[in-house]
Amino acid sequence: MAEIMPKLTRLERRKSDLLLTYESGDELSVEYVDLRHACPCAKCAPNRNEDQTSIDLRESVEKLANKKPKVVTVGNYALSFEWEDQGCSSGIYRFERIWALANNKDPDNGKPYVHGPW
Amino acid sequence: MSDSPVSVHNPNEGQPQDEGPSAAQQKQMEQAYAQMKRKMSMQEIGKKIKHKIMVLSGKGGVGKSTVSTGLALSLAQQGHKVGILDIDITGPNVPKMMGLDGKRLHVEGGRIHPAQGHLGVKVISMAFLLDDDDTPVVWRGPIKLGAIQQFIGDVEWGNLDYLVIDFPPGTSDEPLTVAQSLPDIDGMVIVTTPQDVALMDSRKSIGFAESLKVPVLGVVENMSGYTINGKSAPNSTVEIAGPGGKSISTQADDEGNFSVVVDIFKKGGGKNTAEEFSVPYLGALPFDPGFVRGGDDGVHRIVSEPEGHSAKAFSEVVAAIQEQIGASESSSLEII
Repeated sequence: MAEIMPKLTRLERRKSDLLLTYESGDELSVEYVDLRHACPCAKCAPNRNEDQTSIDLRESVEKLANKKPKVVTVGNYALSFEWEDQGCSSGIYRFERIWALANNKDPDNGKPYVHGPW
Repeated sequence: MSDSPVSVHNPNEGQPQDEGPSAAQQKQMEQAYAQMKRKMSMQEIGKKIKHKIMVLSGKGGVGKSTVSTGLALSLAQQGHKVGILDIDITGPNVPKMMGLDGKRLHVEGGRIHPAQGHLGVKVISMAFLLDDDDTPVVWRGPIKLGAIQQFIGDVEWGNLDYLVIDFPPGTSDEPLTVAQSLPDIDGMVIVTTPQDVALMDSRKSIGFAESLKVPVLGVVENMSGYTINGKSAPNSTVEIAGPGGKSISTQADDEGNFSVVVDIFKKGGGKNTAEEFSVPYLGALPFDPGFVRGGDDGVHRIVSEPEGHSAKAFSEVVAAIQEQIGASESSSLEII
């Protein structure tokens, strides 16, 4: 994983994952299930604070259809994913988060979720 | 009993004659029609207004209305057609800051026409509908929601380049209603002051924006530093007692003029919050007593001193916002 995140130039929605192409030439993928388990929204994120609730979140995500999502750019710093099924579509994924996931790193960087409006 | 072998059932037999819908039904139908028209109008407004910017803060008193009016005027200075929608139903003060105190709105053909303030900025606010400044607006959520939808759907904004929407503090009904009613919002500008309490609430606003799926255009740090200008002996060292008993020293120039910035409410908190949440930092606006005077007199600092320090700070923030909007418009990411 490069120290500085290269620019994401291409995103291909495949059957069960995203294929990401970076300006550096890196070609990486993120499974939809991993992406959804790492949802940064205020509702999903606290569930990753504890091992058991994180496992529960993972299991609930795995049960979903996980078909190709609609991808929306958010400003110039993030993406959001709209899923056809009943799962959460609220999370705004910063490019750094997607880069971390693509490199199998913890996108929360070990930090528990503490901020949030609710 | 009839002799006919055929029995004809008349469903209205024994019932009063149908004379159309009752008054209550008529009213319901009219309300439903008005609501439908308003929704269509809101969609139409989305097309006529190129950019819609929400201005929020988690905490009150950080200068949202000052920032909203400043952004609107700074954009108008660039030659854009700009409007301000003051959604602060219970504490509307944009009209006063825009020199529109006591003005009334013009209604024609069932459409509300905004008042025009400095530099031609169009303004809609609850303040225009109040009989006097001291009248409190005591409304529950659903009534507020209706008023907001009217402010969006029933107003004849015309073609605008930018609509700046000023909200009351917090993360409640008002931004939620606007985000759900107005299509294609460019994003939110989060206003904060540098101290920890304000920053804590700004973080909530960022989380709120994420929940609403409205992009955060960035964080603005208001009341960031107070500049003291003075005169002393030429080339002398000037010492000023700063906040917390800290001494701030500066050097006077050849003519004895000196200038020093005092960070009354700390410094850099807005930038730190932006970095923590990986959202853009749009810049800092100075602590300028001229905003208070200008707000009270109805002549905004940007209007009275268009080349002044504060006007320049605003134009830098506006440039940063435009960069964000432009960047999202010209995103080079290929999505397949």
